[in-house]
Amino acid sequence: MNLPKKEKTRVDDKTPLVKMVGIHKWFGKVHALKGVDFEVGHSEVVGLVGDNGAGKSTLIKVLSGVHVAEKGEIYFEGEKVRITSPADARKLGIETVYQEQALAPNMSISRNIFMGREPTLSLGFMDKKRMNEESMKCLSGLGLQLRSPDLPIAILSGGQRQGVAIARALHFKAKLVILDEPTIALSVKETQEVLAFINKLRQEGISVIFITHNLHHVFPVAERFVVLTLGEKTADVKKGDMSVEELTELIVTGRRLHN
Amino acid sequence: MIGRFFLYRSVNVLLVLAGLIVVFSLLSPNFAFTSPDNLRVFFALAPEFGIIALGVGMLMICGEFDLSIGSILVFCSFVFVRLSEIKMSLPLAGLITFFIGAIFGLINGVITVRGRIPSFITTLGTMMLWRGTTLLLSLGIQKPFTAEASPVFCSIFTGEINGILPAQILWFIGVGIFLGVLLHFHKFGNWVYATGDNKEAARAMGINTDRVKIICFIIVGILCALVAIMQIIRVSSFSSRAGQGWELKAVAASVVGGTSLMGGIGSMMGIFCGTLIIVVIENALTMLRIPYSWTYVVFGLVIISSVLINLYMERRKLKYGSLFFRVFEKVTPPSPGNSLNNPQKKSPTQHRN
Repeated sequence: MNLPKKEKTRVDDKTPLVKMVGIHKWFGKVHALKGVDFEVGHSEVVGLVGDNGAGKSTLIKVLSGVHVAEKGEIYFEGEKVRITSPADARKLGIETVYQEQALAPNMSISRNIFMGREPTLSLGFMDKKRMNEESMKCLSGLGLQLRSPDLPIAILSGGQRQGVAIARALHFKAKLVILDEPTIALSVKETQEVLAFINKLRQEGISVIFITHNLHHVFPVAERFVVLTLGEKTADVKKGDMSVEELTELIVTGRRLHN
Repeated sequence: MIGRFFLYRSVNVLLVLAGLIVVFSLLSPNFAFTSPDNLRVFFALAPEFGIIALGVGMLMICGEFDLSIGSILVFCSFVFVRLSEIKMSLPLAGLITFFIGAIFGLINGVITVRGRIPSFITTLGTMMLWRGTTLLLSLGIQKPFTAEASPVFCSIFTGEINGILPAQILWFIGVGIFLGVLLHFHKFGNWVYATGDNKEAARAMGINTDRVKIICFIIVGILCALVAIMQIIRVSSFSSRAGQGWELKAVAASVVGGTSLMGGIGSMMGIFCGTLIIVVIENALTMLRIPYSWTYVVFGLVIISSVLINLYMERRKLKYGSLFFRVFEKVTPPSPGNSLNNPQKKSPTQHRN
């Protein structure tokens, strides 16, 4: 199980991209995560599922630097890392796309994509031409054809908004994109769009963690499912090993369907 | 070209302003509104309120208010006059006044951001605090001010170019351009919009929203100091009532200019025109010999109607992308087989001038 920690060269595909070991997190007296192990491989789509309050978001916030775990270790590309702020996570290449929190609705697409990381000419003046060109480029890289980078986010559909947020992660060379409930407020058609973006990310060699409590949304795209129940990992299964019904039962009861 | 002009967000404010100017010019007896004498007074007087209103507008875009502008102004005026009384050289006195304005802005900002209280409350408090302090220190007495000590310094703020064009209007335009460039072309402007539009998103993307807000407060404070100096030199005396009632007029100017009270929406061009609308109404009603009491009636009507117009325009823009044309269908031709290309917009009309 132990990893070659000092390895400097490019890690082989056997080494997982992210490996979290024995993560414990308390909120006061609430033991939110009880020694969770979690890993994501290279260009792998992992569905992190569980009922409300199972600890999915807490686990992800530990990985993205919003919370710091009391106990446990995180390895990124085989090296032990300490992630204590969202900036730390971003430096490693972990981008989190939070539902409805990621975009400023009245600002243009390109201003949103480069928010806080504007390319500048000199004296801090924005390179608008580059912003517009590159935002259109990374949107079309996702298969999202939008008419102009100057459109405000507010006129886009829910699926397109997720697309813009994902494109931002893509542009800043993320290695791992965490999608927190990306389909929660979307129509069926928009959900299909988001699933298409996720497939595109995998083709680009980017790993994805897809958090949801709707198994039917994640089932078509994920290769592996991790089920959390009340702060503990109750299952870690490949797609072929279990049916949707069995997984649903697992989420609801916290136990495997018979046997 | 014309199409792009009408895409411009603040175009409706500009049209309202132009309309008002035309109407007032025609209505005023003997065209008194556009007479050189009136224009000279207008260009010297209106910028005093206008300069501060520009800063307040930018502050509103990042989601905060400043009700204490009049009080910062009067305190700065007092400091400036007091320093000149003790024979300090005016440039140095001016520098100290600017410094005090900046500090007062900083105080507003820090209390709001660190205390996590709405700036409406913070600045309501500092409004009373600084006005009261000024009254205490000055005993409410008018103080004379003589500009003779340093005519060069004074002419920077209130001189007349060619003996005609007052310096104040140039300051107003200059501040407008400076803030406009900062807001629309500098990355700081992008942070201001992001902070006002979705603070959580801005913070998640690594923008220090607290610092952005504090800087905007400081800018307002510095502009108050600038106007304080300008006004003292023009009037040649200190009055403890300077700047009274400006705080809500400045909010009104920004709102008329299309700025959202929630933050995130607005443009410097719009705020500039909105400010001009307010000062033009004030001046023109006087020139039309309409009793001053009517001014506030007109202000009220203009504020409400312009907010209604802005809301209507905003909704139309969300639907069609422009005020008068349907531009969405024009920009890129939809590629077949991609469902993402023809979303909510229904009619594929191709005519646009």
